[in-house]
Amino acid sequence: MASERYSFSLTTFSPSGKLVQIEYALAAVSAGASTVGIKSANGIVFATENKQKSLLYDENSMHKIENITDNIGMVYSGMGPDYRLLVRQARKIAQNYYMIYNESIPTSQLVQRIAGVMQEYTQSGGVRPFGVSLLICGMEPCPTSNKMIPLLFQCDPSGAYFAWKATAMGKNSVNGKTFLEKRYSDDLELDDAAHIAILTLKESFEGQMNETNIEVGICDANGFRRLDPATVKDYLANIP
Amino acid sequence: MLGINQFPEYQVPGAVQHQFNPYENNGGSIVAIAGDNFAVIGADTRLSAGYNIFTRNHSKLFQLTSSAVLASCGNWCDSDTLTSILQTRVRQYSDTHENKEISLNAIAQLLSTMMYGRRFFPYYVSNILAGIYEGKGYVYSYDPIGHCERHTYRAGGSSSALLQPILDNQIGLKNMEEKPTIPLTVDRAVKLVTDTFISAAERDIYTGDGVKISIITENGVEERQIPLRKD
Amino acid sequence: MSIMAYNGGCVVAMKGKECVAIATDLRFGLQAQTIDTNFEKVFPVNKHMYLGLAGLQTDIITVYKRLMFRKNLYEIRENRVMQPERFAAMLSSFLYEHRFGPYFIEPVIAGLDPKTFKPFICNMDLIGCANMPDDFVVAGTCEEQLFGMCETLWRENMEPDDLFETISQAMLNAFDRDAISGWGAKVYIIEKDKVTIRKLKTRMD
Repeated sequence: MASERYSFSLTTFSPSGKLVQIEYALAAVSAGASTVGIKSANGIVFATENKQKSLLYDENSMHKIENITDNIGMVYSGMGPDYRLLVRQARKIAQNYYMIYNESIPTSQLVQRIAGVMQEYTQSGGVRPFGVSLLICGMEPCPTSNKMIPLLFQCDPSGAYFAWKATAMGKNSVNGKTFLEKRYSDDLELDDAAHIAILTLKESFEGQMNETNIEVGICDANGFRRLDPATVKDYLANIP
Repeated sequence: MLGINQFPEYQVPGAVQHQFNPYENNGGSIVAIAGDNFAVIGADTRLSAGYNIFTRNHSKLFQLTSSAVLASCGNWCDSDTLTSILQTRVRQYSDTHENKEISLNAIAQLLSTMMYGRRFFPYYVSNILAGIYEGKGYVYSYDPIGHCERHTYRAGGSSSALLQPILDNQIGLKNMEEKPTIPLTVDRAVKLVTDTFISAAERDIYTGDGVKISIITENGVEERQIPLRKD
Repeated sequence: MSIMAYNGGCVVAMKGKECVAIATDLRFGLQAQTIDTNFEKVFPVNKHMYLGLAGLQTDIITVYKRLMFRKNLYEIRENRVMQPERFAAMLSSFLYEHRFGPYFIEPVIAGLDPKTFKPFICNMDLIGCANMPDDFVVAGTCEEQLFGMCETLWRENMEPDDLFETISQAMLNAFDRDAISGWGAKVYIIEKDKVTIRKLKTRMD
């Protein structure tokens, strides 16, 4: 395509050395629905807002929490369409890895490769950075012992990624993190973590929280799964 | 096989080509061991073609005299024809020699001549002849056109490549620095033949079902049969 | 004549008790002509894993180099030692990538798991169809002879010394009945804490 010759990256440095496109992308993330992720001793919990804009939406058909492999889960804050592209890429990367090595992709490897995709979109011509931050979690065998260890990563539009014990993203993420800093401890059990995750969401939740306007995902030794509304309802019942 | 298909420029439209391939490989393996005063010869009892098994109990051993047994495998109908003619010739020999039984080395030579007689349309068979002559054990093996060679042990047929190195090692004591001094008895020879067939039946689909063993001593020929895997 | 038998040569691997063995002949020839009697077809992959390649010599070298490239990249990227199972899967997919223009080699892998030290052996055809049996694997121009020898000599749970004797006898007697394999042999016994490498003197004809 001849026009490719002039198809420069839209993400360029400002005179002060910033990539403002990425900052705008992060702004899109901050404006998105809040998401919480907490690592416990025996698993990881995701909780996210999934508010419908209209009563007429069918709330059972769209999900924010997705499985990438049986053991790896993903959730986001920011722009839904961008997220779905990344989910598709992540699943492709995971299956490609399985095809070559006959072993499920380690979480850290998936995160690295997804971050690679996100970085590419900050430097390639004719594209813009993703308007999402991702949380990716998984359980995998410890390299030195046979114990399963939980992992929780965040992936930003720039392609930067971090490993967290607990974090919050999206609207009110600053308050969320402050709340988590107070509540988090290293010896949390999975159920406690789920409880805290929902509480953190509730801190900044506008309106009445119920099983249809939040989503919860859990990762333990049996793999990653999104909880069905009935189970979420049980968790909500324990919250004042 | 060379035919008109290799020469398309000579092909005539509308001409019908006829071809006949007289050879078929019916599989089967044979092993023979010569001892000081005995010979042991064995053959599996499977008769097959391609992926089909025709019968699981088919003898490839032919007792020619009281001191000679021939094992023959490859193309079964060739084997059948060859051994029938050979048995006739053995009978003719005794008839013309005042009922004297033909000796082992005479059969060995006769078989070679008979096979070379078909130099340009050979019997598609692998033969091993075993027996005793003047009290000593002998094994002769043949190629399809009658080349004859004397050995102390020999494997032939579809599993020959699997069996021969085992015999080299266990009887020829090849590649051993300190050679064990176990005498080769009838029992050991029979056990070895059985073991080699068990190994061959594991990997070769043309060998299996059972093994027939003939033990040739001064006292005549004793036959034994041992079952093998049938798949 | 098959291109797989152009250079000649063979490889065999066996499982033992908490150990594995892999052996190669040393001939390199062009059809019936022997060129070199010091061409090893077994290569180190990592501390506890060796790879044997039988077939066309030029492809043996290329495949080994390309595999080491992929394996080194994996180990550096994932910061861990590659397990034999992973290596086998990677090799299989590598060979199948060339499904319609294959490398003319038959690989044999022998190794211990880097963590559990569980013995592992595997062989493949030239397009990567893997076979992972409990006893032994063979490849090369005297494959049939090796099958016969191994099937007779192999026993379960052999100790390293016993395994060495078995694999050596199997290989030597097998390639003595093959005109384009032999001319010396090299045997690797891989144990948890050491690898013993022995060069064998054989008949040179």
